[in-house]
Amino acid sequence: MSDWDGLLATALVGTGRRAPRDDVLAGVVEPGALPVEGPEAEVLASAAVLAVYRRAGWVPPTWQGERPAPAGPDTRPECSETAAQLLELLLERGVRMDGGNAALTEHWLRACVAAGRRPPARLLVSLLQTATVETSLREAARDAAGPRGAWLAVRNRRWSWAAAVDVNGTEGDVGERFATAARAERLALLTALRRTDPAGARELVEGTWPSEQAASRAALLDALGTGLSDADEDFLESALADRAATVRAAAAALLDRLPRSRRARRMAARVEALTRPDGGIALPAEPDAGARADGITDQREPGHGLRASWLIQLVGAAPLPPVRDPRGEPGELVAGWTRAALRQRHHDWLATLAEATPTAELLGALPPERAAAIVAVQPSVDARFAGLLAACPGPWPATFSADVVARLRGVRTDRLLTLAYPALAERLHPAALPDVDDWLEATAREQRARRRMLRGLAHALTIRRTIEQEFS
Amino acid sequence: MGSRWTVERVLRLAPDSASAKAARTLARPATWSALGSTESLVWGKCQGSAREPYQVTVDLHEPAFRCTCPSRKFPCKHGLALLLLWAANDGTVTDLDEASGFAADWAHERAERAAKAASRAASTPDPEAAAKRQADRESLMSAGLDEFERWLFDLVRQGLAGVRAQPAGFWETAAARLVDAQVPGLAERVRALGAEVHVRTDWAEHVLGRVGRWFLAVRAWRRRASLSAAELGDLRALLGWARRSDEVLAGERVADRWWVLGLRQDEDERLLSQRTWLYGERTGQMVVLLDFAAAGGALRVPHVLGSVLDGELALYPGAEPRRALLAGEVTTATGDGLPVADSVTAALERSASWLAANPWLERIPLALRAVTVVPDEDGTVLVDNEGHALPLERGADVWPLLALSGGHPVDLFGEWIDERVHPCSLVAGGRLVAV
Repeated sequence: MSDWDGLLATALVGTGRRAPRDDVLAGVVEPGALPVEGPEAEVLASAAVLAVYRRAGWVPPTWQGERPAPAGPDTRPECSETAAQLLELLLERGVRMDGGNAALTEHWLRACVAAGRRPPARLLVSLLQTATVETSLREAARDAAGPRGAWLAVRNRRWSWAAAVDVNGTEGDVGERFATAARAERLALLTALRRTDPAGARELVEGTWPSEQAASRAALLDALGTGLSDADEDFLESALADRAATVRAAAAALLDRLPRSRRARRMAARVEALTRPDGGIALPAEPDAGARADGITDQREPGHGLRASWLIQLVGAAPLPPVRDPRGEPGELVAGWTRAALRQRHHDWLATLAEATPTAELLGALPPERAAAIVAVQPSVDARFAGLLAACPGPWPATFSADVVARLRGVRTDRLLTLAYPALAERLHPAALPDVDDWLEATAREQRARRRMLRGLAHALTIRRTIEQEFS
Repeated sequence: MGSRWTVERVLRLAPDSASAKAARTLARPATWSALGSTESLVWGKCQGSAREPYQVTVDLHEPAFRCTCPSRKFPCKHGLALLLLWAANDGTVTDLDEASGFAADWAHERAERAAKAASRAASTPDPEAAAKRQADRESLMSAGLDEFERWLFDLVRQGLAGVRAQPAGFWETAAARLVDAQVPGLAERVRALGAEVHVRTDWAEHVLGRVGRWFLAVRAWRRRASLSAAELGDLRALLGWARRSDEVLAGERVADRWWVLGLRQDEDERLLSQRTWLYGERTGQMVVLLDFAAAGGALRVPHVLGSVLDGELALYPGAEPRRALLAGEVTTATGDGLPVADSVTAALERSASWLAANPWLERIPLALRAVTVVPDEDGTVLVDNEGHALPLERGADVWPLLALSGGHPVDLFGEWIDERVHPCSLVAGGRLVAV
């Protein structure tokens, strides 16, 4: 047998100290077939023969380990080449928007998911890396990346956020995993299950409830916020009597969102008891044990006294009365209605309150068309207006977008444009692109800052128009 | 005026995706001045990190690029960005009748050089002088290789254990002598080994294998009169005795439909190199196009991965896989996937038969059928349907391979270097994609 290791040993110490053995080439070439003279030449010639011999005769090992299960199929067709190039530009920062590419990337991802398409596999690594840093993109990135992305995420700890929560499998499986997994995974499992089977998910919680620690109980209740419905009422009602204040508060916050609950009726009765014959409402006295049990606390609402704060909590947790103009009503009552409207997501109440006093919070809770209608009738174009634009959810309707551009164009300073810029870039309808181009055209060269912003805006709108075209 | 190119056409010239990305970022009018174009030239000045703006010119015919920046990428991001601006055709780069300043100067120089080359080619060579030049060179090389053999002997006599303690000058001196003896190919390998002994864990075996092969080259050189044309061709390639391209073009030619299977660009501090692996559909031959450029020089624009070039190649003398040159016009089509792929065993058998003909072969092309990428603690492996595993190059980024394959078996093309696969491309969604 040939002896590479023996040859290597000789070569390492040197032929000056050790003579090469004469059998290192045994079995490879006939003895004496190499016409060489001297030990150095012999070592070198043997090395030449054996190195090539070993390389040419290299035998691949047979793989003994497992082959991991491949990624599940993704039946969604790949997006168009143009759309893929655009995503690549956004991810690799080939285009750079003021304020970052995250908003446009998210727009791309959501449009892709909505169109039932998927990004090409070659961009998945870049997508997962980007969304690992840019956490706001994670949900959209996970949806877009699909089974292939989830498969990759299982194999890379930094991408674990993108791993799919597998709610399939037998009921016992899910129950077992819920009972034994670490807290973060339990919450992820619960949230995922609430989307598809809210009752089953709640039953899981009820099953382990007595043995949960207080902090876990509060977190589990928060997770029930996903897929919340009247069916959860009994369980939440029982949690109102929990030993821990944090758990009681979490249960109360969820019940605030259920105006048909028994607790809401009890709150309504308490408000009713305070109603004077003239329709006005008196400030409550010290809450009784029942009100305390329903979650009324002594926490002061900003700008209100203790008794007013109690009333705000009572009204905020009761069913809303028929919509009425809040102008001229007492402040604590309006504050209570506002809280109830926000919690119950009552669009008519929210719109009416916003018409009286447009605030970012109210506008943000409205659908885009209704919020836009309120912003559109604001008389003055000032910093407050820019703030409302920032709060007004998108996508904005085309006419509203054109109107906003026209109104901002009338402002001489750049300050408002600077304030509103991120919202404009993200939500302006692409149909407003000609208006923006026209504005840019008409802006003097000296107004560098303004021109830069307008160019950025036009750029963002062009990209969004392309996204819409490619996924239409 | 000729019509302007599409953005896609411009980006296809990018040597890698990082360059394309950088070019897109630079393609903003604000960073450019003195822009203009004619039918054959596009030029402009780009304000980079240096104080003086870079002068960038592109000759659209070849295309050829020139930029005063120090980048070794070719074409550099400035040239690509300039073409992107021009391709946008939004009025930023206006058409002019005549080139101006630095662009005109360069075009003029190029025209002169081309004329000189043409007249050189036309002039009849003096066979006697040529024979004398060759004899002079061979005796110079022989003397240099004799000296190199003594150096190898010293190395083995004193023992390889000491090479890691040698200063950089030890390798550098040996390499410089080889360069003086007109054996630059060996010189480059000696220099490379001087660096490798410090980074490889298997350095001792590696050095022994290398010096053995070099010794083989020295002995083969002495017997060069009895070598076949192919053997002499491979020996010349190792030693770095270049052939003139007109000599190669006058030699053996093969027409085929050549599939572009893989692209690789390497660079060290002196040299930029590019390998394009091609497979001939009719002849079943695997060949490689090699392009070199000194740092800052002009590398040929790469072919598009996955495309098929229909045309004639001129082959360098040597054993398969041979080096080739494009001979004349080719038409380009789009291919689908890998036209050839083998099991691990079959691919290794083929590589063994190639090694038998050319023991100095360093990079062996491997087209593998249906291999699964399996990440493992001891390094990622590629496993074929028969269960045979090939290790992936150390430190390879496995995530793009996993993302593109999803754990399914894929056809993959790569280079087999020191018993590890260096992946170049794989088939995803029916198309060949670079990794």
